[in-house]
Amino acid sequence: MHPLDLKLLRDLGTMKGQVIAVALVMACGLAVMVMALSLVVSLEGTRDSYYRAQRFAEVFAELKRAPNSLRARLAELPGIASVDTRVRGALTLDLTGMSEPADGTIFSLPDNRPQQLNLLHLRKGRLPEAGDHNEVVVGEGFAKAHGFEPGHELDATIYGARERLRIVGTALSPEFIYETRPGDALPDPRRFGVFWMNERRLAAALDLDGAFNSVAATVAPGANRRELMARIDTLLEPYGGQVAYDRENQFSAKQLHDEITTLRGFAMAFPTIFLSVAAFMTSAALTRLIRLQREQIAQLKALGYGSAAIGGHYLKFALAIVGIGAVVGGGFGLWLGQAMTVVYRRFFLFPELHFHPDWASAAVGLLAAAGVSLLGVSGAVWQAVKLPPAEAMRPEPPAEFRRSWIERLGLHRLASPSMRMALRNLQRKPWQAFFTLLGLALATSITIIPGAMRDGIAYLMDFQWTQAQRQGATVSFIEPGSAAALGAVGRLPGVMGAEAFRAVPARLRNGHRERRVSVTGLPRESRLNRLLDERGRAVAMPLHGLLLSAKLAEVLGLDAGDPVRIEVQEGRRPVLDTVVAGTITDFSGIGAYMDIDSLRRLMREGGTVSGAHLAVDAARWEEFHAQVKASPRIGSVMLTAKLRESFQKTTGEMMGTMQAVYFGFAMVVAFGVVYNGARIALSERQRDLATLRVIGFQPREVAAVLIGELLVLTLLAIPVGLWMGGHLTRWMIEMSSTETVRLPLVLTSRTYVTAVLVILVSSALSFAVVSRRIHRLNLLDVLKARD
Amino acid sequence: MTPDRQPLFHVRGLTKIYSGGEVEVRALDGVDLDLYEGELIVLLGASGSGKSTLLNLLGGLDTPTSGELKYREEELADADAATLTRFRRDVVGFIFQFYNLIPSLTARENIALITELAEDPMPIDEALDLMGLGDRADHFPSQMSGGQQQRVAIARAIAKRPEVLLCDEPTGALDVQTGIAVLEAIEQVNRELGTLVVIITHNASIADIAHRVIHLSDGRITEIRENEERGSVKSLRW
Ligand SMILES: Nc1ncnc2c1ncn2[C@@H]1O[C@H](COP(=O)(O)OP(=O)(O)O)[C@@H](O)[C@H]1O
Ligand SMILES: [Mg+2]
Repeated sequence: MHPLDLKLLRDLGTMKGQVIAVALVMACGLAVMVMALSLVVSLEGTRDSYYRAQRFAEVFAELKRAPNSLRARLAELPGIASVDTRVRGALTLDLTGMSEPADGTIFSLPDNRPQQLNLLHLRKGRLPEAGDHNEVVVGEGFAKAHGFEPGHELDATIYGARERLRIVGTALSPEFIYETRPGDALPDPRRFGVFWMNERRLAAALDLDGAFNSVAATVAPGANRRELMARIDTLLEPYGGQVAYDRENQFSAKQLHDEITTLRGFAMAFPTIFLSVAAFMTSAALTRLIRLQREQIAQLKALGYGSAAIGGHYLKFALAIVGIGAVVGGGFGLWLGQAMTVVYRRFFLFPELHFHPDWASAAVGLLAAAGVSLLGVSGAVWQAVKLPPAEAMRPEPPAEFRRSWIERLGLHRLASPSMRMALRNLQRKPWQAFFTLLGLALATSITIIPGAMRDGIAYLMDFQWTQAQRQGATVSFIEPGSAAALGAVGRLPGVMGAEAFRAVPARLRNGHRERRVSVTGLPRESRLNRLLDERGRAVAMPLHGLLLSAKLAEVLGLDAGDPVRIEVQEGRRPVLDTVVAGTITDFSGIGAYMDIDSLRRLMREGGTVSGAHLAVDAARWEEFHAQVKASPRIGSVMLTAKLRESFQKTTGEMMGTMQAVYFGFAMVVAFGVVYNGARIALSERQRDLATLRVIGFQPREVAAVLIGELLVLTLLAIPVGLWMGGHLTRWMIEMSSTETVRLPLVLTSRTYVTAVLVILVSSALSFAVVSRRIHRLNLLDVLKARD
Repeated sequence: MTPDRQPLFHVRGLTKIYSGGEVEVRALDGVDLDLYEGELIVLLGASGSGKSTLLNLLGGLDTPTSGELKYREEELADADAATLTRFRRDVVGFIFQFYNLIPSLTARENIALITELAEDPMPIDEALDLMGLGDRADHFPSQMSGGQQQRVAIARAIAKRPEVLLCDEPTGALDVQTGIAVLEAIEQVNRELGTLVVIITHNASIADIAHRVIHLSDGRITEIRENEERGSVKSLRW
């Protein structure tokens, strides 16, 4: 081995504490990056091949009813590759052993023609036989949640009629990778399922004999998807068609897409922060090392080593640290990725979801880490390279000391002699102090994130299910009903209050930006399902105009007061130009709300309701459930408490795990930065400290000088770090906010106190290590060494 | 010596001015000098007289403010960093007062630093043996005495068979006994390898072993004395 590389190894050995500290910080960043990007690759790869294998449609449209003969005309549309028509409906289930009702969506499978698109991936059993059978295939999520196997029978109500369904198979569908009620942000596999039945029988049950109400299609290669969608719209319009939507807006595909977006955000944000901290640390450690090795550098130059050799030698320090960080971080990232894959299997139902390490992104991460550290140390290395060899032979001139400005202010009388020395040291090297402070502040700021995540989840749950949605249950009718239907719901056992809502599918437009949403009409005096602003205050429903989710306003580029067009996709499909009356805060999905009477006027209808939010007497849930199950008009029931529970169990748990991991990372960073700073300060002051010992100071007093210096920096860094942490968290949350879910920015004093404690404990540990070293300082060695 | 031979170093009007802060220091002020192959030169002068400055310029560690400095045909006065590096690597061996070994490398590895670079280096063991260090090859600097460290430094300097060996107070940090041993080693290099050796000292008695003794004072050469009769290192006293 080249002697310079031997030197490298041995020098690394003597500074191994620091090397490990920096490498671990780097490893944290790389771990998140490798984990997140590998998951992105795994999810995308699995998704794409699954979509291809099951021929997932690219364009979808729902309509009221069209004769099957229209299928041929659809198939002839220019730009269409293949098309499937089907019937689709809602069903409710009365499951033995579960008092509350469950519901689902049921699709037809073609009887006597091959299925073209959205092919099922059969997991167990078989597909239903053609003909008049009550056989169904059940989505695997629901089947597993209930332990259903082929052979089981279920009682269901389809379109008001009781049916006994016989499960013949379980399956996965590319349309339900994320198996939720369309429009729901969260899976609730015990209470929602997807079913497939043969076409003839289902059409009969839904009163759609010889007709279809749902279209799925793919676009011919080279054809324009938007044009095709417009043609489909034109063709279906007379049949009560709603505007066609593409894959990007298919709810399951969108959920998956949004999750991938969030992962990408994490893959950016975390490594950026951690790698910058690591770069600071490497830079500080190397600057110190190079100053310590001034003479060695001069010596190498005298021997004839050129700038490249010397620069390269010191860059290798950084690269060695990066190497260790990459191995540890890469390994940990892969492990985390595996673990997360297991979690994802619960959320995203693929035939198989395997974790594929993404070596390309690992390489990118490695390059980024190397790049960032090299950038960080370039200044220090440049110092080494341009160090004039003759000058370096001369001992460093004695440092210039001045009275610190603190002393000039007269504050020194408050400080002990040790503290005074500490202050002077700080003032002598203000830049170094500044960068140490910055590193400490960054470490502090990172410790804010996990606390903010935890409180964000708690806030979200309280906001969503205690403040906003105060209803115990939300029932939706299978078809919009009249005031009488509302009355009937109000008379269900245990119902103490009912508030109607009217939801219509619509397209909102602002110039070229548009979103398919459901516009919900609510009574102006809503007590149950309340709309809240960002501070949790109720927002009154305006007489005119729309209230939008802040996220929806953002994606449409709208502000309060801006004009917006509503193109309703139901009934006469009225179009209304109105204004954005304001925005409301919510954390999942994107919604638009207006006064229910205004919406009805727009729809030219009387007291039509889509469903109702209900306050239910907690003592009478059983009766309520039983009655709901027996009500043929009720298409779905959402139970607020169950939703909350299910959120807590799934998303909450997952975020909790993430939070624990990030908390661990934050600890690593905090300790690493403080320890690195302490070691640097120690090696810098070794001679002074030894001199103090020689002239009779106690080890304790000597340690006080050094620790005083670090303590001043730490105490200054904490407020800066807390402030930075707030911004950092905001940035992280923005990076990971999607139309599906987003986290509120909640910064509580508990988070701040925890962050401060983490930093102080890390400091105390580092100080303990450093003062132990001071106690063991070999005075003679230190004084003999000419550094 | 035969002054009509081609000098290795050709120095004319060499001036070095340090302009740090308020004061300007004329460390060297118009030095004229020729140094020849195989010579052993002793540079004498009070502290601050410019000895190290001169040596550093000769060794290509620094560049002069003005004047002419040639090594053989090569102009060093305005050479760039890469040229100076190459010059140091190919031509010069340095020995400094404080041994200047890399503390994290053993004696053998310190010497390997040079043999890795040089075109036609000595085998490391030969260099070590030459300095009587065979049994110390695998010791770290901190495990050796000052004299041993300095001998490693010399072994390192000569391992590349330099044409020029520049020594800045090589015995300054050593006791008499060890100092003599080190000087013997340096003198041996001069004698056996024909290397041009320049030794800085402010110990006038060392001057006895030189072919020529150059006195510096305030950055100028005040005297160049040729020793008719060179004393042996063994007889030195200080
Ligand atoms: N890098 C430098 N910056 C400023 N002054 C210097 C520097 N190097 C040397 N000097 C000054 O130049 C003069 C000569 O120094 P030097 O050659 O080291 O003397 P010597 O080696 O004879 O003791 C001294 O006055 C010294 O202070
Ligand atoms: Mg000197």
